[in-house]
Amino acid sequence: MITFEHVTKRYGERLALDAISWHMDEGECVSFVGASGAGKTTILRLVTHEIAPTSGTVVVGTFRGSRVRRAQRALLRRTLGVIYEDFRLLNDRTVFENVALAVRITGHFSDSEVVPRVLVALEQVGLDAQHAAYPQELSAGERQRAAIARAIVNRPAVVLADEPTKALESESAREVIALLRRIHEDGAAVLLVTTRPDVADALGGRMLRLEEGRIVSGAATEVPPGHAAYMPKESAAPLPPQTAED
Amino acid sequence: MHVYFLREAWRSFRQHQGLAWTAVVSLTATLLLCAVFLLLTNNARRAVRFIGDRREMVVYLRDDVSPALRDSLIGRLTVLYGAVTYVSKQQAWDEFSQQVGDPQLLQAVDQNPLPASLRVRLRPELLNYSAMEQAAKQVQQFPEVEDVRYGGEWVRRLDELQATLTRDSLAVGVVVALAILLVIYNTIRLSVMTRRREVEIMIRLGASDRFIATPLTIEAVGQTLLAALIALGLLFAVQQLALQQVARVTFLPPWWLAGFVGGAVLLAWIAASVAVARALRSAGP
Repeated sequence: MITFEHVTKRYGERLALDAISWHMDEGECVSFVGASGAGKTTILRLVTHEIAPTSGTVVVGTFRGSRVRRAQRALLRRTLGVIYEDFRLLNDRTVFENVALAVRITGHFSDSEVVPRVLVALEQVGLDAQHAAYPQELSAGERQRAAIARAIVNRPAVVLADEPTKALESESAREVIALLRRIHEDGAAVLLVTTRPDVADALGGRMLRLEEGRIVSGAATEVPPGHAAYMPKESAAPLPPQTAED
Repeated sequence: MHVYFLREAWRSFRQHQGLAWTAVVSLTATLLLCAVFLLLTNNARRAVRFIGDRREMVVYLRDDVSPALRDSLIGRLTVLYGAVTYVSKQQAWDEFSQQVGDPQLLQAVDQNPLPASLRVRLRPELLNYSAMEQAAKQVQQFPEVEDVRYGGEWVRRLDELQATLTRDSLAVGVVVALAILLVIYNTIRLSVMTRRREVEIMIRLGASDRFIATPLTIEAVGQTLLAALIALGLLFAVQQLALQQVARVTFLPPWWLAGFVGGAVLLAWIAASVAVARALRSAGP
């Protein structure tokens, strides 16, 4: 599903990723944990092909290589669901319209087909009652749930989550993690990046620790594609309350 | 999906009204300038055509030309240059008498000094100075012909006037086309800049360039269409005013109107497509 083969990424002189290799299969759950600047977000940006690696190869599904054309890049992103720390919702559109946008972008559905898909996604995240609300009218937790609905509405094979609980208070963070667990249990692969090991623990799955652009711990830091040596999926632990530092 | 694009274009127009109306006003001013020039050109062309229709060559005959020779000449001139009307000496005198009007003055003339003539209504392809000049020289060679007159100087001026009008129309057309391209291009770039965040989010969600560009292009085409209709409305008001105050001014014929609106919309579409493509290339992640 996603494979990094000796991927290095430099921003000018700064080394963000240092020849890392890892792989995740369909339906798997992987968390990258590390401090700020460890290279976590760079991994997600490489997966979505927002940036190209300095060297090495990134494979996502059938998309392989460092130079993917613009149209192919758009196609790739339609197969992913991405959840951001800052939600990235359009404030001038209702929750329904924000989620519907992701469906319309695929170009596969007529207006009449869009509505039921969006309503199902909103129901899954418990926001069906707020479908007509604008993002500013929602709490941070509700906004993140709207963003999750948008990420899953096209039933992607993999959901990427970039610090999804960082802007949330503990109760909302717990709800978001529970939602991600449910998405994973429903069959989607989940790739989480976070600074908080407790969030990764709560989600479950394989945890890889990043430090200064290298995978320093976790299952099989040099995993060739197709290798079966992954950590068994752990049962999800409850998310501990968030501290003020978070 | 098409309804969605129309809805998005309308939403964008409403949300960025300042920008949208600025574009409409700029385009209206540019298009009105073009429309006024088209109105002037159209009326000048009509006037030239009206005068041009009256261009004829007058062939004066020798007094000793027999009816048989005259009829033979009429046949040849009809084939070579156009419809011929014979004006006898008596008809020429009658016309002259009517024009002069004073019987005492006419009595002073002993006998009819006017020659018989042939008035040749030239075929359309001969209605220009050089062709008329050449035709006159050829007709002059016939032995039955005394003299040929065709008002060469004013025919030349008329041709020059027509050429100037055509040239100026083209020049104004080019200037207006460039102005439309520039206004639309900059409006679209500003539009993309003002909604950079929205465009970025769409790109992250996997929107194709076409998906993002279509509502913006529809909006630009809509603004231009609106501006073209306002410009034509204002032009109609100007024409009605001129009709009442100054002189008979004819409004633009339907196919000119269609060409004006269609041309403006086509230019807007081209400018919008180029601008969106360029803006998107530099916009997204």
